[in-house]
Amino acid sequence: MEPSLVTLDQIFSGASEDFPELLRRKGLLSPAAIVDPTVRATGSHQQSWTPTEATTILAFKFSGGVLVAGDRRATAGNTVVYDRADKVLEIDRHSIMAIAGVPATAWEMARVLEHSFQYFRRTQLQEMSVDGKVRALSKLLRDNFGFVMQGVGMVVPIFATYDSNSNPEARLYFYDAMGAQFEAADYAATGSGSPAVRGILYYENHWGEKSLKQLGEDEAVAIALRALDTAAESDTATGGVDRTGEIFPIIKTVSRDGIMTLPEEKIAAVFKKSVA
Amino acid sequence: MIEEPYRWVEAIANRREYVETQLASGSPIAAVGYRDGILFLTLGQARQKIFEIYDRIAMGAIGHPGDIERLRMGAIELASTEGFTRSAGDVSLRRLAHYSLSPVMKSAFEQVYGPPYLARLLFAEVGAQPEEDSFLRVEYDGAIATNGATFAQVRQDFAVLSGTRQSTELMESFLKSEHAPGATFEAALKAALDAWSIGHMALQKDDAKELPERTAIAKHRQEQLATTGIEAAILERDASAAIRYRALSDKEARALIGD
Repeated sequence: MEPSLVTLDQIFSGASEDFPELLRRKGLLSPAAIVDPTVRATGSHQQSWTPTEATTILAFKFSGGVLVAGDRRATAGNTVVYDRADKVLEIDRHSIMAIAGVPATAWEMARVLEHSFQYFRRTQLQEMSVDGKVRALSKLLRDNFGFVMQGVGMVVPIFATYDSNSNPEARLYFYDAMGAQFEAADYAATGSGSPAVRGILYYENHWGEKSLKQLGEDEAVAIALRALDTAAESDTATGGVDRTGEIFPIIKTVSRDGIMTLPEEKIAAVFKKSVA
Repeated sequence: MIEEPYRWVEAIANRREYVETQLASGSPIAAVGYRDGILFLTLGQARQKIFEIYDRIAMGAIGHPGDIERLRMGAIELASTEGFTRSAGDVSLRRLAHYSLSPVMKSAFEQVYGPPYLARLLFAEVGAQPEEDSFLRVEYDGAIATNGATFAQVRQDFAVLSGTRQSTELMESFLKSEHAPGATFEAALKAALDAWSIGHMALQKDDAKELPERTAIAKHRQEQLATTGIEAAILERDASAAIRYRALSDKEARALIGD
């Protein structure tokens, strides 16, 4: 008999199959890459996988939840290929994944993640926990690490979400390319421009007029814009704010009410007032 | 013995009788289209009977919980993988039912050495306009009834599911006469509740041929609402969010009925 599309042959082991496994079973997602230590034996490979994700992504907690910002530049080597890239991606109503690294892999990961959360909710009839979501991204990164070792597809994301369970609060995580997850108390930054940003956020948090968590929305947006502008000053791979083309960074916030994408006019207004 | 054609027909007939008996006590489910979406409604709280399948598709089911669960998982799997590889707009209820679920249920039903699916499924997919809403009922033997126009009927913007044919037909004839396309949510909710009551009354009588009196329907509805919970969900037409499914809690539904 011709094999049917519906397999309906789940093996009930007690654990539910996760969405990436389902995709792999159907041949719709490349298998987890095997980490082969011999591949990175040559010097060129070694160089290519040192962290040079060409972008700047930052996130910090402020009075209204978490703010996530990313510049718009996409580069290939030292060429700018796109100046309107969106690297701050909505995964579900309360979760944002911001990406630094290879866009093809990162966007695919975001897509898998988005569908994973929904697949879980629909099959299990409950929302996936924040810990489960954070772990799901970690697993995707680990599955990808074999490719990173081969010099392709490095992704270093930030994950921001709102935990509405027992102790409602905004949560912020950053990752390394192997999939280790770290919860950030106040702020996180990733990408090639991140050292400068980290310096600014540390400074503001400790010696600024207010700590980051006390900032109102406009103040938070101003700091994010200043940080990205600073990063762009020394990092060619970071777009910062394009003053002539009027291209502004993407800024989103996550709160109890969900994700809000700040309108460009608002960012432009804050930029004019506090940055330019 | 099954090799002889007559035996096979007999075995299928027996099996049909068995499945019908098993499904006969299933509490009815009504799916009713209205201006801003589609409402699914049933009463009873023994276990969940209305489910989200994909962004624009919902399912109601009666039957054996194990079978319902397997079919539900299969439907979600297919819709999710299709939505992932292509896009949410490419997930189609028509194809899901005709190409995937129906053949599987048919062959399970007709292969008399294996178990059939003890389940009857009701699907709806919300469209951009009420005229684009799609309703489908898939039977345990893979037969499909749709809301589309045929020689015998005009296009309907509702669909029902119940334990017996009699109950199903009475619910349909009630909605056909009482439910107007493009109705408000309140009107749809009331029509769905009355349709459920009619279906439920018919399950308790062996020879329910005629629609009961209005007062009898209202009385039955009051009695049932006093003792059982409402399970309801809506598929919203509003395209601003990708996910249109929203479950209504018993409390929300009661507030809307004004009960």
